Amino acid sequence: MFKLNSKLIAASAALALSSTLAFAGTYTVQPGDTLAKIVSKLGFSSATAAGITAVPSGNMNVIRVGDRIEYTGEASVAPSTAGVYNATKNALDGGVTYPRANGVETAYRYNTQDMSGINNGRVPTANELKAWDTDMMPDGTGYPDGQGSVEEGDELYETQCASCHGEFGAGGKGYPTLSGGSMKSLKNQRTCPGKDAPKRTIGTYWPQVSTLIWYIRDAMPYAHPKSFTNDQLYAVTAYLLAQNEITIDGQELEDEYVLNREKLMKVVMPNHDGFFPKIDGPNGIENVRAFFKDRKNYGAVGIRCMSNCGKESVMRIKNEITAVVPAYSTVRDLPKVEAGAVGAKSQAEKDYDTSCSLCHKTDAMGAPPVGDKDAWATVIKQGMDVVNDHAIKGFAGMPPKGGNMDLTDQQVKDIVKFMVESSK
Amino acid sequence: MSNISENKLETTNSRRDFFKKTAAYSVSAIAAASIMAPAKLEADDHNIIHHVKWGTTLGDELNKHPYGIPSAYEHNVVRRTSSLLSSAGDMHAAVSMSPLHELEGIVTPNGLHFTRTHNGVAHVDPNKFRLMIHGLVEKPIVLTLDQLKRYPSESRLLFLECPANGAAEWKGPQFNSLQFVKGMMSNAEWTGVRLSVILDDLGLKPTAKWMLAEGSDGSEMSRTVPVEKVLDDAMIVWAQNGEALRPEQGYPVRLMLPGWEANLCVKWLKRLEFGAEPWYCKEETSKYTVLTKSGKAIQHFYPLEVNSIITNPCPEKPWSDLKMGDLVEIEGIAWSGHGTITNVDVSLDGGDNYVEAQLKGLVLPKSWTRFSYMHKFDGKPMLLQSRSVDDSGNVQPSVSQEKDIIGVEGVYHRNSIVTWEVKKDGSVHNVQVRTDNCPA
Repeated sequence: MFKLNSKLIAASAALALSSTLAFAGTYTVQPGDTLAKIVSKLGFSSATAAGITAVPSGNMNVIRVGDRIEYTGEASVAPSTAGVYNATKNALDGGVTYPRANGVETAYRYNTQDMSGINNGRVPTANELKAWDTDMMPDGTGYPDGQGSVEEGDELYETQCASCHGEFGAGGKGYPTLSGGSMKSLKNQRTCPGKDAPKRTIGTYWPQVSTLIWYIRDAMPYAHPKSFTNDQLYAVTAYLLAQNEITIDGQELEDEYVLNREKLMKVVMPNHDGFFPKIDGPNGIENVRAFFKDRKNYGAVGIRCMSNCGKESVMRIKNEITAVVPAYSTVRDLPKVEAGAVGAKSQAEKDYDTSCSLCHKTDAMGAPPVGDKDAWATVIKQGMDVVNDHAIKGFAGMPPKGGNMDLTDQQVKDIVKFMVESSK
Repeated sequence: MSNISENKLETTNSRRDFFKKTAAYSVSAIAAASIMAPAKLEADDHNIIHHVKWGTTLGDELNKHPYGIPSAYEHNVVRRTSSLLSSAGDMHAAVSMSPLHELEGIVTPNGLHFTRTHNGVAHVDPNKFRLMIHGLVEKPIVLTLDQLKRYPSESRLLFLECPANGAAEWKGPQFNSLQFVKGMMSNAEWTGVRLSVILDDLGLKPTAKWMLAEGSDGSEMSRTVPVEKVLDDAMIVWAQNGEALRPEQGYPVRLMLPGWEANLCVKWLKRLEFGAEPWYCKEETSKYTVLTKSGKAIQHFYPLEVNSIITNPCPEKPWSDLKMGDLVEIEGIAWSGHGTITNVDVSLDGGDNYVEAQLKGLVLPKSWTRFSYMHKFDGKPMLLQSRSVDDSGNVQPSVSQEKDIIGVEGVYHRNSIVTWEVKKDGSVHNVQVRTDNCPA
């Protein structure tokens, strides 16, 4: 129903002169095109010169809008229309690559001078390699020496992990849920009635156990990563495997079960086969290439229909999410200056920001939030000695000194004082 | 006007002032005014009639801010966050959205570049920075920042997009805001060295098929990359729009894989290891995998597919000030990790019919490309859409086309067409044109 603006089409096909270049590519048929027009747009004298030997319809006299026509050949005028480059459709990811030749790559010039033998830097020492090359892989590469039991892991989990990930890894604190759910739930679609979200937990989703122990070692506990010893690492890993009802050699991981390198190598995760394309082994890369080549595999199925493409119903926002910071505004005015402009933060407040705010900023973690008068009135009732003692030695879900053992007792007391005074 | 004192500009307008003042009281004066000033009788603009404050006072010293800052009046042009796009409102592992509705052209200012972190923004001391490259290479190396930057540099305009961009809307529209519908992306000029240049020195062994890229932040963010991509166009970058990377973007150094998931472009880079097998990092297994409706998930889903969005109008920038017959530009951004944008089509009726829009400005591979369509505003309700095409032949899918294959629980890599509903009053609303079917 819309009239095509022929000027637009012509403009987008305007040619810029360039030197003779060998090229090949794909042209998508536009409304109003004929084969002769396309040949001309591409800068060729004839379809033969353009190397167009076939069209998708199978009949050289029939072209349809959206058809993709392959062309090859040498043109006197290169297709240097802005944004039309000498693409080769061979990229691993299903896209194109742009060859570099004569110092030109698409609209960029590149440096053609000899760059070999720059040799900056130096060879790392054996100790340096050992210190940094600590990744872990599914074949057991990098698994450390050490051991830990489910029971030991339980204790560590309670003090170091539960405040974010919930009791037994069951979530509920806003941070990732680590256990529970079923692999069957992975097929759930919430647009269908009665379906909950798929549960992507360690037991239902993660394909490799190496990922689990490696990630815990490097990135956990969240506020103090890389602080577990190897024995603690095995203990926490054992506990999480147990919570996910994962067995080793058919054996359930009871409290006294001790995990070590050899046993970890035997773990097969339940959703081991839940992912495609297959990336392992000598065919891994070719599997990836084949996957991307077939665009149906990943939903890349758009069609360039121009008219009467079909109507679908309109879905409007049901419950708008408006919780954004700062609040929406496109007004151009001067920012409001807060009354009693903020001075420099005290050391205690800075320490609070880095070591305590994660849990005490809001009540999401079950800790009394700073600024909540009622919550803190209850805390203070116990007397400051008790409050300071809890802060230093740990209490309920809170680790000693909030998990930052670098703080001195006095620093912790100063932070507590700051938190109390900010909550009056 | 030279005979009139510059300090008494008002006097030059006394005659018009007279008519304006008189008009309020006298019908005949209006008639007289109409004859003498036939165009229109309008109140004079105070901003023109009177001197302005900044023209009658001494301005700031020129280097008051040795590092320049935007006008104070632009204070609402900022990245925004939502606690719903984080864990329990914790802004150490969260995402901030670029204000696409306020961006012009294809370069995102560094302070407005979207940011995603997994363990907070790391502050790397550039003097203590080391980059180690080892594994299946003939000669492993360690580089200081100065040594790295002494390699010959290249600059590229490239988009970076979190593959979760638009993830909140698989099941339907939730945010009425361009910033939150598509703001997990930005476009910048990145400067660094091609990895192939460094590998030329090191000598890659033929058995090397994969590269591990590891960050030095608290989450030790790491990913596995195919060597084929590394040799094609991967870069190690240290500059963003002409200056050092911002801490939020990985200062001093990040990996850059043009067109691929921003998560793969590892920030605060410390180590590259080459190997024969993939690593199975946390962010390529438990996250950044696309769970399809079959219950199986796509892993190693690298490229951001062909995509587009109309930035003007948008919910934040409605057409409420337009009059019937005004000629107005429908403008937007198109991009593709698979190659270069070749076409963008615009629909005014929710995808039933399309017209071709025009590309404008620089049209570069794996970079934002601006498009434009001139429209005569007629006050009729519209369902505005844009649909892009790239030179790999990919066409941006409709919501239904994408969803019917992937399902609605994939989280990542959602690139379907966005619809803005423009109402009679010119207000703009995020809606979706879609058909949902459930198996019987």
